[in-house]
Amino acid sequence: MASKQDELFRFVEYSPENAERIGYSNYSYWRSVMQNFLKRKSAVFMLFVFVGLVIFSFIALAIGKYDWATLVTNTDLAFHKPDGEYWFGCDNLGRDYWCQVWYSMQTSVKLAALVGGGECVLGIVIGCLWGYVRWLDRPITELYNIINNVPMIIYLTLIALIFRGLSFPVMCITLIAFGWLVMARNVRNLVFMYRDREYNLASRCLGTPISRVLVKNIFPYLISVIVLRLALSIPGTISLETTLSYLGLGLGIETPSLGILLRNARNYFVDYPYLLVFPAVVVALITITFYLLGNAFSDASDPRNHV
Amino acid sequence: MVKYSITRLLQSAVTVLIVATIVFLLMRALPTDYFFTEEEVMKLTEQQKQDRLEAAGLNDPVAQQLLRFYNELLHGDLGKSRRIRVDKPVIEIIQERFPVSMKLGLISLGISLVLGIALGILQVLNKEGPLDHLGMIYTIFVNAVPPLVTYSLVLMFGAKVLDLPSMFSKRNELQSSIMPVVCLSLSSIAHYAMWTRRYMVDELNKDYLRLCRVKGMPTKDIMIKHVLKNAFVPLIAYIPASILFTIGGSLLVERFFGIPGMGPLLVDSIGRYDTPLVQGLVVLYASMSVIGVFLGDVMMTVMDPRIKLTGKGDTR
Repeated sequence: MASKQDELFRFVEYSPENAERIGYSNYSYWRSVMQNFLKRKSAVFMLFVFVGLVIFSFIALAIGKYDWATLVTNTDLAFHKPDGEYWFGCDNLGRDYWCQVWYSMQTSVKLAALVGGGECVLGIVIGCLWGYVRWLDRPITELYNIINNVPMIIYLTLIALIFRGLSFPVMCITLIAFGWLVMARNVRNLVFMYRDREYNLASRCLGTPISRVLVKNIFPYLISVIVLRLALSIPGTISLETTLSYLGLGLGIETPSLGILLRNARNYFVDYPYLLVFPAVVVALITITFYLLGNAFSDASDPRNHV
Repeated sequence: MVKYSITRLLQSAVTVLIVATIVFLLMRALPTDYFFTEEEVMKLTEQQKQDRLEAAGLNDPVAQQLLRFYNELLHGDLGKSRRIRVDKPVIEIIQERFPVSMKLGLISLGISLVLGIALGILQVLNKEGPLDHLGMIYTIFVNAVPPLVTYSLVLMFGAKVLDLPSMFSKRNELQSSIMPVVCLSLSSIAHYAMWTRRYMVDELNKDYLRLCRVKGMPTKDIMIKHVLKNAFVPLIAYIPASILFTIGGSLLVERFFGIPGMGPLLVDSIGRYDTPLVQGLVVLYASMSVIGVFLGDVMMTVMDPRIKLTGKGDTR
């Protein structure tokens, strides 16, 4: 008995440093997020597929035998079936389809990433102000209602016609200008909810600057909602781009994009299914993987799910 | 309740007016070239163009045009179309196009309500089972993949395998309506299924359900009498809005299948500077969306007496 106690306990010399040491858990927000995320094998797989596809689109353009910029119409090759020379076949004007598909995928992803990023920044800034600054609540709510009450297609049509067709940067700016609404509303509702919690009141009373309260106390709660919104917004932007380009209100024919490809193929893909199948598979893979990825990441980044 | 409805409707009227004004002002920001056909832009002299604009009242100061528009609106006069159908009253054009969109919209709405809610219920009953996962995959697919791609796949399948006509035509209305209706329903089925499932799962976690189980109520009764009924309340708030939304016609579906409905009308009329038609349509669409939200709130209080609209704050 005595020997066991000796094993378990031992005397320590008094040390002033150790007496002053403060205990803390080594919790780190981002490490927990990563841990939770990596636990989900399917999500990690999706991440690999998504990143792999984006990287492959560059490789695909590099190894393709034709460059998009130098494509020429050649009616002899119209509806050329996929083979060793033209991997995805040729479209109705006899242009190589492989480089068109990959290039338009890049255009879509680039646009979606830019719009998603812009939406995030604008939405978070406006949402924080909307939720935190009391006197701004009324004016921003009114602005939100005015933009939200008109079908977006009216604004988009008008802008497209005023600028006579949207170029890539104009399209980016336009989509951001209407995309921040949902993000801002989500952020605002959460900021509104957390701003007067006791811990924030205590923080304010201790003289923490507002910027620090927002960034350190409230922001971690926002991340999962922001990521969730982003996971929806990126496929949404790709959809909107295809719709607008299909209707002739989006990017011009000089920028190959999914909408333009599908518009050109609309009348032919019943007879030549490969014209639809290749772009459809690529865009479906991209949007679905990103959507699932975003959902998984949003779960992982919710601090309430952390141990 | 009556007082509440009146104030609410008056507020809605103001919203519609503001929306109409904004679109009115934006229309005036368009270059006037759109007023003429391409041929006219080239052939007409500057003087002739100005005369035409003058005759249409487009050269007056914007404020004066706006006042004239308000005045006509108050008299219920939406004016006459200028370009889409020369000199045909806007109301008549809408009357002509509206039934086409409405018919397709209502059919697809009925289908998607029945199928969507049924799918949602099946998913809940079969939670975490294969059917639930299948429903989830469907929802994710419809949400993530651009609608244009989905429609194209439907079109390819329908035209190739089932041999359906790929364009809408009045002569063969029944057969050529099948694919548009399917396309219109696809996403709303997913929507209704998703919301039914979510609200039912929320409801299933409540304490009173445990009591139901404890007192020995059969699962079927619990599901129908309690869970579905309560889950239906938030769902019903969306239904009027989506009815009005679907009968307004879908721009993409109608363009894609060449349906002479309401959807393309708006974009076309903006593109051809047909200001009276644009304003008429905007007033119509804005009123429909405002009324839809209002009806949804009213229906919610009818379904669930615990919800009161007269109190301050957000009702949804």
